[in-house]
Amino acid sequence: MTPTQKGYAPNLTVFKKSLKAASVETSIENLISLLKRRQIKNSRPCAMATAELLRIVVARDRWTDLGKLIAHIQDVGRRLVEAQPRELAVGNIVRRVLGMIRDEGNEDRKNEGSDSGSATGSPQLEFSIPAPTTTKRPPSSSLRFASTDGVHFTEDRPTTRPPLMTSHTSYAVANNVPVQQSMFNLLSATGSPNLTPSGANSPHGDSTPHPFALSEKMINSTKDLRAEVVNGIEEILDELEQVDDQIAAYALEHIHSNEVILTHSSSVTVYKFLLKAADKRKFTVIIAESYPNDHEETHLAVMGKMKDPESEEEDKETYLKSLQAAGITVILVTDASIFAIMSRVNKVILATHAVIANGGLVAAAGARIIARAAKAHRTPVIVLSGVYKLSPEHPFEFESLIEYGDPGSIVGYEDGTLVEKMEVDNPLYDYVPPDLVDLYITNLGSHAPSYLYRIVADHYKPEDVNFNNPELLF
Amino acid sequence: MDSVGNVPPKTLTGTFDIVETYHRILEDDPEITMPVAAIEALVELLAQTDAVTVYETLDLIQTQSAFLKMNIPNSIPLQAGTELFQQYILSCLKPSKTSSGNFEAVRQHLVSNGRLFVHRAKNARDMIARHGQNYIRDGNIVLTHGGSRVVGALLRKAADVKRAGGNVRFKVIYVVKDQRSIECRTVIDSLRAKGIPVAEIDEGTVAYAMRKVDMVIVGAEGVVENGGIISRLGTFQIAQLAMAAKKPFYVAVETHKFVREFILSQDDMESDIDQKIIRFEPDYVEDPTPKTPIRNAVDFTPPKYIAALITENGPNVVAAVSEQLIFLYSV
Repeated sequence: MTPTQKGYAPNLTVFKKSLKAASVETSIENLISLLKRRQIKNSRPCAMATAELLRIVVARDRWTDLGKLIAHIQDVGRRLVEAQPRELAVGNIVRRVLGMIRDEGNEDRKNEGSDSGSATGSPQLEFSIPAPTTTKRPPSSSLRFASTDGVHFTEDRPTTRPPLMTSHTSYAVANNVPVQQSMFNLLSATGSPNLTPSGANSPHGDSTPHPFALSEKMINSTKDLRAEVVNGIEEILDELEQVDDQIAAYALEHIHSNEVILTHSSSVTVYKFLLKAADKRKFTVIIAESYPNDHEETHLAVMGKMKDPESEEEDKETYLKSLQAAGITVILVTDASIFAIMSRVNKVILATHAVIANGGLVAAAGARIIARAAKAHRTPVIVLSGVYKLSPEHPFEFESLIEYGDPGSIVGYEDGTLVEKMEVDNPLYDYVPPDLVDLYITNLGSHAPSYLYRIVADHYKPEDVNFNNPELLF
Repeated sequence: MDSVGNVPPKTLTGTFDIVETYHRILEDDPEITMPVAAIEALVELLAQTDAVTVYETLDLIQTQSAFLKMNIPNSIPLQAGTELFQQYILSCLKPSKTSSGNFEAVRQHLVSNGRLFVHRAKNARDMIARHGQNYIRDGNIVLTHGGSRVVGALLRKAADVKRAGGNVRFKVIYVVKDQRSIECRTVIDSLRAKGIPVAEIDEGTVAYAMRKVDMVIVGAEGVVENGGIISRLGTFQIAQLAMAAKKPFYVAVETHKFVREFILSQDDMESDIDQKIIRFEPDYVEDPTPKTPIRNAVDFTPPKYIAALITENGPNVVAAVSEQLIFLYSV
């Protein structure tokens, strides 16, 4: 972002390169310090770095069963989140990976279950309550259970992964429906065999019963699982790379001819969205410069010097097509004129840093002023956000999400006499409450703020939501 | 299953009175909630009946639930319990991937696990407390109202955090009403015992006190489909005052209190709850407050006032209520 980051200072590109040579533990420490020093910052780089790191962890680490892997990922995730708790994307990626591993585990066990024709006896599906509806497990199954035990799920789970004994988590895991069925928990006969996972395709081709191939499968399955999980993480990385283009695909539904769009700061997501709409439509974009933290980039963007994020990979800078070249009329305004100009605006499009489960968002400072002004003028506010920015964390205190930056960009240090006499705050982010937002556009489509909780529930498993908060883990 | 017509109508053995059972369960265990008490009463009914067929049993449960509902002045909370119970049986009977469809097994499970349900319901309260304690930050002032046991547990949990060496010092403003000061008393005393400063205020003082308050946390007797809550009389006005002062209004509530009713305003409750709160008198009366159970009177708080529902599954937005209910009753 700042010029100093180029050249010798380590950034995402440098970190990615270092991953190839360094050991797992060094890489973890490396990323922690990069996050702490803010040398990797903003949602997308943080998310990518986290996913890259977890891929290395899964691929290189010695793990024999998924329980241990989950515990290890939780541990790494916890350290990363502690390093930079305000980069919610880090925690989101960790949760996604954890959820994926759990899915793999479920599918794997289901395969075995279908092999032996009975409910599996894995720890996650074992319950403290004797259930009258439990059908007798055929004797072969107990044998199988004992034999596969060491491979996938050990009984003595590590302490960092507390037992999933509450009925609702096990039930939810089993059915892949996180929230909905929870009301039956009160009465449910947990532990009945009918709670085994249902539906979903098997990751392995051989879902047909293979009682004799079992032993062979056990040897292969760790390797298979490792490949599956690494594949899954690569899918997440792909998603992170494509997310802006996917969001941009919805542009034509939302931007119409001769509209006046207001946005602020320099966001690649918004920029690509506008460019996409400009393919077919002519419209005007008003950009608030977002002084003092992002005005230089915003000015560059208006001048047609918006850096293409993908160009970072090849160490040479390429720029996105300029808005003017795409046929858009661009007007740059100061932040002070936002309210004045709002009466002429048809739509506000905001980029975001993170979106939280209640439908509110954390965005570059100034976003709340714009959203309030838009509310006052009844102007619709659209927020563009990749799903990876959606955090299941519920902010108990919004102030804790706001990061404060260098006050020197407001009052320069050369102005020493002034700095000594007053306190200068430079918040980098704003919290925008859900009632100021009309629509979210993610790579999955458009959603009302009140519906976001559902998207969140679809993406993260309930038992992973509080992975960094052991007190709420059960 | 036998065809219903061939089976002689069997009724209850002895004299089982569901209303009396319900009251007894509530009195025996002051920690129990109304929906769970209703479930318990139905479990006892199930244990005592000698009905054998599915249809007979379901019919019995239905009529007895309706009877119970008719005889309790504020029936919406217990309706959450009876409907959950019936729906659970129905969903278990449907042979599917998630159910064996064996009626006798379902019956046995319900009859033998009565205490377990109560235990789970209490665990839910503990979970709410664990989630909810995070809302309370150092230096906060929390306003609450009514004798909600969930809120009591939540505040005590937050006080424990303080004791455990955390840095959470908070104060509580408790809105106390004369008619039911006893239930508030227990909560207030337990908080003071943990070293939390509590201010007791009158309902008329809420607007005055609101400026000092950081958040409002209340309990609820029932949560209706649109996410609004049925709670002790006076909750609605506190919610309105909180919104006017832009203070968050949280509701700590177990999911078993979600009920499939669609209430939009106070008037909509009248068919279920006849509270006789407002009485027009042509002549002067000695005591204008009605004698009828004002102690248990409730009002309805629409969802737009509620910032979040703190349930045992974590904080929920109000929109999640309808989803859970629709899902539950479409099984």
